[in-house]
Parts: sequence; C-alpha cells; structure tokens
Amino acid sequence: MPKIDMPSGALPLLILRVLRAGPLHGYAIAQRIHTLSSDVLKVEEGSLYPALQKLLLKGWATAEWGISETNRKVRFYRLTRDGRKQLEMEMSEYDRVHEAIQTILRTA
Amino acid sequence: MQLFRRLAYLLNYRRHDRELAQELEFHREMGGRVESPLRLREDAREAWGWLWIDRLGQDLRYAARTLSRSPGFTLAAVAMLAIGIGVNIAAFGFFDIMVLRPLPVRDPETLLHFTRQSPERYASAMPYPEMAFFRDHSRTLEIFAQSPQKLSLEGEAKPRSANAVSENYFVELGASPLLGRLIEPSDASGPPVVVLSEALWRMHFGADAAIAGKTLRLNGKPSTVVGVVPATFSGVSLARPELWIASQQQPYFIDGTKILVDFSDTTQEVLGRLRPGMTPKIAEAELRALAAELRKQYPNDIWENETLPSKPGGYASSAMNGSQSGSGQRGPDKLLPVIMMITALVLLILIAACGNLGSLLLARGVARQREISIRVAVGAGSGRLLRQLFTESLVLAMLGAAAGLALGWAVLRYLLSITDSPSWMNPTPDWRVITFAAGAGFASAMLFGLSPAFQLARQRQRANFLRQALLCAQVAASCVLLIVAALLGRAMNHALTADPGFDYKHAITIDASLAAHGYAPAKAAAFLDTLRARILAVPGVASVGEATSLPLGNRNVVNGFDVDSHHVDMHANNIDPAFFETMKIPLLRGRNFKPGDTNAIIVSQSLAARAWPSVDPLGREIGHGDGKATVVGIAGNARATALEDPDAVEGYFLANAADQPGLSLVVRTAADPESVLPAIATIARGIDPQVFPTVQAMRTAFDVRMRGAEYSAATVAVLGATALLLACLGIVGLVSFAVTQRTREIGVRMALGAKQAHIIAIVLRQFSRPVLLGLVAGTAGAAALSQVLRRLLYGISNLDPEAYIGAVAIFLAAVLAGSLLPARKALRIDPVRALHHD
Repeated sequence: MPKIDMPSGALPLLILRVLRAGPLHGYAIAQRIHTLSSDVLKVEEGSLYPALQKLLLKGWATAEWGISETNRKVRFYRLTRDGRKQLEMEMSEYDRVHEAIQTILRTA
Repeated sequence: MQLFRRLAYLLNYRRHDRELAQELEFHREMGGRVESPLRLREDAREAWGWLWIDRLGQDLRYAARTLSRSPGFTLAAVAMLAIGIGVNIAAFGFFDIMVLRPLPVRDPETLLHFTRQSPERYASAMPYPEMAFFRDHSRTLEIFAQSPQKLSLEGEAKPRSANAVSENYFVELGASPLLGRLIEPSDASGPPVVVLSEALWRMHFGADAAIAGKTLRLNGKPSTVVGVVPATFSGVSLARPELWIASQQQPYFIDGTKILVDFSDTTQEVLGRLRPGMTPKIAEAELRALAAELRKQYPNDIWENETLPSKPGGYASSAMNGSQSGSGQRGPDKLLPVIMMITALVLLILIAACGNLGSLLLARGVARQREISIRVAVGAGSGRLLRQLFTESLVLAMLGAAAGLALGWAVLRYLLSITDSPSWMNPTPDWRVITFAAGAGFASAMLFGLSPAFQLARQRQRANFLRQALLCAQVAASCVLLIVAALLGRAMNHALTADPGFDYKHAITIDASLAAHGYAPAKAAAFLDTLRARILAVPGVASVGEATSLPLGNRNVVNGFDVDSHHVDMHANNIDPAFFETMKIPLLRGRNFKPGDTNAIIVSQSLAARAWPSVDPLGREIGHGDGKATVVGIAGNARATALEDPDAVEGYFLANAADQPGLSLVVRTAADPESVLPAIATIARGIDPQVFPTVQAMRTAFDVRMRGAEYSAATVAVLGATALLLACLGIVGLVSFAVTQRTREIGVRMALGAKQAHIIAIVLRQFSRPVLLGLVAGTAGAAALSQVLRRLLYGISNLDPEAYIGAVAIFLAAVLAGSLLPARKALRIDPVRALHHD
C-alpha cells in the first residue's frame, strides 16, 4: 500500500492523541503514528519538529529531558491539562467534520 | 500566557536551539532521516514567531559588511543624506522651539493668551483698567499681564527696555530668582522696587553679588533693586527686557502717566492661568459676561458685544504676533505661508539628495548584479532579497539621520547665535526632534532605497526609466531652489537700487519716546515745537516733519477696515502736514492736511486702488463712529514701514493733540545727513536732561533692514548651491556610468568613423529628456511656490523673468559642464580594445 502524505492540520491532532498514553520523544512519536496507521501515514521530520514547537508554544505539551530506551539523553514530550482539553475538542470537531463529509459522500 | 512562553523562549534562545539540535541528532541516530537540520531548526524557530529578529540581525550584519567594504560610497551617501536631512532637522528644530515646545514656565499648558474682539473691531492688547477688572473678578482664571516700557538708567543716553508686569506675574509663571527676590504681590502697594535681567546685572553691574537692597535711580526716581531674573527665564514674550517693574508703580517712575486709569492706553498683553478644573471655554464665557458688566460703567471704552478669545499662552508662537488692532476681523495669519515656504524649500533639498542617492544606488546595483545572481541561485526569494537591500538603505538612512541630527543641531545653534536669540531657546534636540530625525531617515530610505531595491531584487536589467525619473526629480528640486534664491537676490538688488517712494538717503530720525517719559500732550507739543525750531535753524536742514510711525522704524500700526464688504489692512501713520514734503512723498491729488483737520485721511495710491477700484476715492469715507474719516488727498506709494511687502498700502491721519507724546521727528537735510547728525543729536538731547532721544540717519535703519534680507537670500542661495552641487555630482555619476555601459557601441561607431560631436551627443542624448522635463517641472513648481514669497520680494514680481532665466542658465551651464567631463571619456575609447571588451 502506497504511503500517503499527512493531511494538513491532522498532524497536531495525531501527536496529541499518541501523547495521551504517556510522554514520548520525537522519534517515538513519529514511529508510533507510523505503526498505528498500519504504515499508511508517514510523518516527515520537516513537519514533526516544527509541529512539536507549536505544541510547546501553545502550552499543550511540555518537554523534559529523560533517558531513552537506547540509554541516550533525549527530550520527552508530555501532554498538559490544556493539551488534553485541546485534544478532546479537536477530536469531537474532527468527528463532526468527518461525519458531515461522510453524509455528503453517501447521499450526494 | 502564550506571550510569556514566547518571551521566555527568546530569552533562552541559545539553549532552546542547542536542545533542538541534540534532539535532531538523536533522531538521526535512531535511523530517522534528517536531511537539512539547519533548515529544520529554522522552521522550528519560525513556530515561535521570532524569525524576523534573526533575519533582521542577518540583514543588518550583511548591510554593515557591504557598506564597510565600500567606504567611499558609504561616506558620500551619508554626507549627502546628512545635508538633506540636516537642513530639515534644523528647520523642524526651529519650528519645535517656536510652536511645539512649551515655554520653560510653570504648567505652560494651562496658560491662555487673551485678545479683544467685537463684531467691528479687534485688538491684541488691553487697557490696564479693563485687565484689572478681570483680574479682580474672574473666578476661572488667575489673570496677569505685561506691557513694554522704557526706563532710563542714571546718566545714560538711551533708555533701557523694561517690562511693567502685574504683581502676580512672576508667581504665576513660576520663576525663581537668580539672586534676591522677584516682584511679588506685596509690591502692588509697597515701596518702589526694580528687578534686573541677568544680562544687565552682568554687563552693567559687574555681577555684583550684593546688588539686592541697593538703590537705583530710574528716570531719576530712586528705587530698590530687589533681585535678578536668570537669563533662562523666558517670560511669555520674545522681547528681552532689561528691567522689570510692577505695573502699579508706573505712576511713580513716569510723571503724569495715566496708564492705570486710562482706557485709551491699550498696552497690556493679558494672560490667564486656568484654575483647576476650568476649561478655556468656561473662562471665555466668564470674561465675556464680565466685559458686558464693565461696559455698563464704561459704555464708551468697552466695546459692544466685546469677547475675549483665547489662544494657548505657553508657547513661543503665542508671544510672537506683535501688537495689532483695527476694525473688522483680524486678517489672516501671515506666518503660515512663510512656514510653508521654508518647509517646501528644505523638503526640496531632501528630495534632491534622495534622488541623487537613488541614482547612485541603481548604478551600484549594476555592479552588484553578479552578487545578487549568486544569492538568488542559492535560494534567496525576491522578498527576502528586497528586504535585505532595503535594510541596507535603511542603515544608510539612519547613519545619515544621525549625522543630520548633529548637522541640524550645529546649524540651528549657529542661526540662533547670529540672530542673538534669547538663551532659553535651546537648540539641543528634544524627543520630538529625534523622532522627526528617525522619521525623516525612514522616509528618505523609502524615497531613495525602495525602487532601486525592487529593480535589483527582480533582476531587471533595464532600470533606465527609473534612473531618468530620479534624475528628473533631482533636476526639478534643484531648479526650484535656484530660482527662489535668484528671486531673493534680485529682490535685494531691487530694494537697494530702486526708488522706494520716499527719500531715505537724506533723512535723519529723532525718536524722543516722550510717552515713556510721562510727557502729557501739551508738554510734549511744547517740547516738539522747541526741538523743531532749533533744528530748522541748523544750516543744511531743509525741512522737519512729524510722524507716529517712523519710516523704516520699528513701530508699525496696521489698521483694518471694511469697504463694500471686503477687508483692507492699511499701515496707518499719524503725521503733520510737513511730513510729505520732508519724506519727498508726492501728493498726487486732493490736498494736504490743514491744521485742525479732523476725520480726514490721505490715502496712498495703492490703498485707493484697493479700496475703490472703480470710483473716485476723493470724498469717500472709511470707518464708522468716531473713527470715521473722509479721503481728502491721494499720496504716492511709500511702503515706509513695510518695505518688503508689495501689498502694503498706507493711510495717513493728521496727528492730533493726544498723539503728541507719541510723535517722532524726521529731518530732511540738503547736505549729507552724517555731517549734520552730531549737531542735531546735541540739540535733541539739550532740551530736557531727562530725555535722551535716539537720533540716527534713516540710511542706517535701511541698512539694518537689508541685512535681514541678506541673511535669507544667502541662506536660500546656500541651499540652492548645495542642490546644484548634488545635481552635478549625480549627473557626473550617471554619464560616466552610461559611457562604461556603452563602451562597445561607442567603439563600433568610432571604428565606422563617427565624429566626436556625434559620439558625445549619443552619450548625452538619453539625459536630455529627463533634464528638460525636470527644468520645466522645476520652473512651474517655483512659479507656484513663489506665490507666498511675493510679500517679501520688495515689489519684484514672483515671476520675474530675469531671475528665472538666470537661474535656469546657471543650472544648465553647471549641468552641461558636469556631464561633459565624464562624456569626454567616451572620446578616448580605443575601438580595438572596446570591441574586445567583456
């Protein structure tokens, strides 16, 4: 199955979603999205890191130094309370939009 | 919150960047693809919104490097801008001092300056009793006042200028003494006191530290010196009095003066300080009601429906309009056109400088084509490139503005010192001037930098149109300046050689200032009769006349009146019948004054033409009520008190008994006035030992006036020469650039046998159109602009052909010489080498 480019605007939502389970570092976030999407979605580094900076700026995530599974010092991103709220909001919004599109596709 | 995080990021910017780099390094180790970590880091930074700082820093560093690599260009550009911006800063600095900056007095913003106005009349000064009534009854204002006076120090020939002030004057203005104390409310009824200016105290009393308490005889009357006013005290006038006395003590110093009770003596410049919570509107309403109340007691002295309009009083400009009165409404402000004229002239210099610099940048841009191509090739977008080039211009402009600030300060300081301005006028730039400098810098960067930057960033080879437009603007601006300079020069020459309508070369003036010495009308008349008789006995004296306003003197009374619903302002003079003969002003029609003539006026030909263009002026009437006068004669035009203003018209009244203390004498001599001057001075000073009249040849007063005109002509000439120089430099640069650009073509033409003149024509032809267009635009601009100059041209037309032709000829000659110099380079081109060029 060919890899599909990330739909615009979806990346922050996905990052927030994978962070809900617990803190992750940047590489792990990319990996997790890739695997969870059954290798359909590929996260480009060129958009992952700017997106992460944006989360930090908005205060939806914080970054702290930790030790990776390979025993290296690396930054872990952790969801904040604001981030959780944002995630819920974006998910319900996404659901609504998705449903609306589906309705059109089915009935039109 | 987001803003805080953003600021925190900026403060820890280096750490964040390092951490991001480590993170990316880890990502790569784990097997991810990080193709261009630098680009990624930049993108990440952009998320925080601080990238513009990075770019600005880069641009500034780059600009600094570029500019420092060509110091010659940078220096020339900064010098050009410094001149262009500097003259603007000097002009704005003066405007700032006069109009924007409050006077250094207490709370200047609550000060108001009051004048009198009624539907029929206006006056800038008030009689003392009216002022006193307002002072005693106003609940919205603290009223105070000043009036000019003249007082003689012991044994001195010339009276000193003094300021008679209300006893609350210094308190209201918040002045503190340099020494001793100033005039205080208790001085209204106390023993006579006097306060000295710092200048007088230093010059005349050797800065005596123990001066307070000493006795000084003023007009022969002993009074106690109580203190010294520092030179930094501005007061609320531009005059610099040397002595201050309390208004209420004037009857002590000046025998017989009725100034405190007489309503006909309008001398008081009235100011008021608003009490807390009051507005000018409330205060004006109160004064109007008070005036109506006072009119019940003095129906002849307070005008019907008199109002007291106010203007802000805490600025130098509010102290500037001298004393004016007349019937009807006040005429339009004469200062505004002059300010506009100066603004236009200094802006033209800036435009010329910017046009020049713009051409230079364009020419330089061609040399930078390669560098710019490289930058485009490595991925600089045109927006980024534009920003970078503009930053370079902005750096130049700011350097120019800083140098201009220094230059402007120096010019203003010099101008203030040669015009002997009061020492509280401080040329040091304040925040307004500095803001203006920054603004002027930015505006000029837009003017000279934006379009070349566009041209370069888009990599257009043909910047020809823009180059020609810049040249055209430059030529037009310099042309206007040169024409205005030529007009002023011609005007001066005209004033020096033409007949002003009265004979100032064979006249002596005697100003006895009898009013200031407290002479009553009868005593003054006796004094003048004695003086006239004794002077007529001097050999070489032809005739003696009298006037309240001396020709070329400092007193200038402008009276306005309405004729058939249009307003005419006339320069009024009260004279005796011998005045016309003495000044050699011809009486063209009608008759001279007869003794005892009341309500008669003799008008100048110009006034007659202005007021009654279609009917016979003789027998017409002007004014109303007591001031009504019938035209009995028409005299030749003699703008004796407003030489420079061709619109000035004159009206003469016969001096009556009440005018006697205000009269001065004019003496016509058959011989050289200088030869009889000493004899006349001795006679004039020998009648009353208390009175020391000022005696001088009218020629001297004329020369003093001319010096003022010389200053302005010289200033504009310097501006014009600067603009011409800039234009020539610009042309030299452009022509030599054109020669370099067309070397190959010229080589081919020479190889084919083109004549030398033909080659020069080819090089210069492309400049002829913008130069000619600029000349036409400049001439038209000068014609429009000089409209406001008309009143300062001593009767020369503002379209004077000689000035225009002369200026344009000088300009063309200079520009032609400037362009031939580099054009000759074209003739030395070796065809063989030229064809191998590139």
